[in-house]
Amino acid sequence: MAAGVAAWLPFARAAAIGWMPVASAPMPPPPRDKKRGQDGLIILNVSGTRFQTWRNTLERYPDTLLGSTERDFFFHEETNEYFFDRDPDIFRHILNFYRTGKLHYPRHECISAYDEELAFFGIIPEIIGDCCYEEYKDRRRENAERIQDDEENDNNNDLVMPDLSFRESMWRAFENPHTSTMALVFYYVTGFFIAVSVMANVVETVPCGSSLNRAKELSCGERYALAFFCLDTACVMIFTVEYLLRLIAAPSRYKFVKSVMSIIDVVAIMPYYIGLVMTDNEDVSGAFVTLRVFRVFRIFKFSRHSAGLRILGYTLKSCASELGFLLFSLTMAIIIFATVMFYAEKGSSASKFTSIPAAFWYTIVTMTTLGYGDMVPKTIMGKIFGSICSLSGVLVIALPVPVIVSNFSRIYHQSQRAEKRRAQKASKEAGQALVCKANPTFETQHHHLLHCLEKTTNHEFVDEQTYETSCMEVSLAKPSMSRSSSMSSSPHGLSSCCTRRNKRKSFNVPNSNMAGGRRGSIQELSTIQIRERPLSNSRSSLNAKFEETVPLNSEEPSYITAAVISMPTPPVTTPEGGDLASSHDFLQSNIVRVSAL
Amino acid sequence: MGAVVGTLTMQTRQRQPSRDKIDDELEMTMVCHRPEGLEQLEAQTNFSKQELQVLYRGFKNECPSGVVNEETFKHIYAQFFPHGDASTYAHYLFNAFDTRNNGSIKFEDFVMGLSTLLRGTVRDKLEWTFHLYDINKDGFINKEEMTEIVRAIYDMMGKYTYPALKGDVPKAHVDAFFEKMDKNKDGVVTLEEFVLACQEDENMMRSMQLFENVM
Repeated sequence: MAAGVAAWLPFARAAAIGWMPVASAPMPPPPRDKKRGQDGLIILNVSGTRFQTWRNTLERYPDTLLGSTERDFFFHEETNEYFFDRDPDIFRHILNFYRTGKLHYPRHECISAYDEELAFFGIIPEIIGDCCYEEYKDRRRENAERIQDDEENDNNNDLVMPDLSFRESMWRAFENPHTSTMALVFYYVTGFFIAVSVMANVVETVPCGSSLNRAKELSCGERYALAFFCLDTACVMIFTVEYLLRLIAAPSRYKFVKSVMSIIDVVAIMPYYIGLVMTDNEDVSGAFVTLRVFRVFRIFKFSRHSAGLRILGYTLKSCASELGFLLFSLTMAIIIFATVMFYAEKGSSASKFTSIPAAFWYTIVTMTTLGYGDMVPKTIMGKIFGSICSLSGVLVIALPVPVIVSNFSRIYHQSQRAEKRRAQKASKEAGQALVCKANPTFETQHHHLLHCLEKTTNHEFVDEQTYETSCMEVSLAKPSMSRSSSMSSSPHGLSSCCTRRNKRKSFNVPNSNMAGGRRGSIQELSTIQIRERPLSNSRSSLNAKFEETVPLNSEEPSYITAAVISMPTPPVTTPEGGDLASSHDFLQSNIVRVSAL
Repeated sequence: MGAVVGTLTMQTRQRQPSRDKIDDELEMTMVCHRPEGLEQLEAQTNFSKQELQVLYRGFKNECPSGVVNEETFKHIYAQFFPHGDASTYAHYLFNAFDTRNNGSIKFEDFVMGLSTLLRGTVRDKLEWTFHLYDINKDGFINKEEMTEIVRAIYDMMGKYTYPALKGDVPKAHVDAFFEKMDKNKDGVVTLEEFVLACQEDENMMRSMQLFENVM
């Protein structure tokens, strides 16, 4: 974008002649153009492939290798060209970036090779165009994960991890049973006890021979009540101990308590304790029996031991809307057919279809092609509709299932991508703020244009906070307020230009003060006022005295070059949100970036 | 079951219209315009060949089809004035450049306008400015036209200015302007009045020379 727009700046400046007759104040003098070299062709020889472009094209981005004087290091005297011993296929994309302003990522290239080239030529990846950004980030993440997995595998082979506190090592043992033998033993023991507990619950209900003084058969649980009780107690004790140990070892106890696995653990052991606490009261024993159902949740504890179960659970959770739709359409079909069957069978005598809800059962059994046969239609109409019901049942159930399966994989990836994009957008904008999108010449000229507009209308650009404070102060007799800091951030990315105007005033002021002043407190502004150079301070000076502004402007280019080369202000320690901070930052990082990469 | 089938077909049907729209857009951009030869343009304007080449490259980059329509023009101009609304002023500028009044600016129109602005005589520049202000092209600038223009310029400043724009500042500005320009106080400014008044103003003469070295 900047590349194209920069080419139209001369037009915008020429059009400013239209303001001249309207202006009541004299215009600021234009910035002196540092004489550019002749616009000639540059030959770039990349491993034998010759690329040619205009010198101006490369100089659009002066903070990269090709746009700065760093390319002189690669100049080959004998052939009068710049020689780079790099990959020409990837270089094509880099050169296109200069031409079009958009950096693309070729899908067939290896991500690490591409990153290396970008790093070599001093281009930060955040400026990759939207069309390729997602793909680039995905590949990069996959690569990073692959590297991380490799590292983890290497790490896991080392049994000694120094400097872990006892608590941390315990947590690690719980999460990764392969790390130590103790952890492995613990893992298998708990797994065994879960299995034992579930089996006990199941076997408890099996009829186990009859006792002589009772008519009906006893279940094993009633017969060997004590044995089962002891077994249950042992299992619950083990589970409780395990839960408490995990609770102690967890790095974030609050997060642990909220997690699904811990809830399952609690639900698994609660019935036992509730049973202990409750007396053998007739009223509550019914509820107690229900509570024992929850013991079956112990089987879910296996999901710690099985990754497949976890994936299944996540699948169901993420596919919930599709499943919901399936359920909804099934419900609709059931209601329709049940109604039809009820009215069709109303005529026949001794019909089992006593009401529409009663017919629900028939419809469900028929549509799922179970066909228990406990309810059958007897009338002809009933049989006709019954057959339609079973035929359509096949369709209704069989059709959405592949859709759900494919939807699941699509939705799964899509939701992941949407979240990724949201996260990427924030970091991308932060990164783009650091990129110098236009060269300093463009900045000074654009700034001069805006200054002319201010002169024409006798008003100045200010940011929102200053505007509000000035509105407040209009009622009071106000002292001359310092021209405050940067513009509200523009969506077009040209805001960095106008922050420059304030940079030249705050040149001697440490960065933090300026950013602090932006917060709008009048007191802070007045302190800045004292520290700033008197020239730029009072509004009257700017409007009335043309001469005062002249030295300011003529010094401007030198300030800017000085700013690029050596900033006496201390480097920004913490990146603050303001435009001013970021523009300081980017100039700083300009210098650092080229060499650091 | 019908619901299921219905939703499935609905999804596929929605994809069709967007494809048609893309085809339409492709067709529109196929229309291309090429400027007349470099020598002719060099003869007609005050630019050298190299300058014309640089100008054309920038022009073609942003408008590959060879013509600028008003939307694109406004969009480009607005990029330079991110704080306010530059569309009104861009509209008047567009009309000033579009000498043929056919709703689009070709490269020749663009370069002729620039040649007047950057390399023309003072008289040429003043005439061009007069034509910019004369919205209805009747040879006179009346107060309404001037108010429009000044309001458009103030719009470019945006909302957050110092001092805050209170009252009808553009109107006051226009009154001051007419005081200066309208010599015979007949309520309109003619070209001659305009040129005379401008030539008397030192500051304005100096400002007119401001952008000489833009190219």
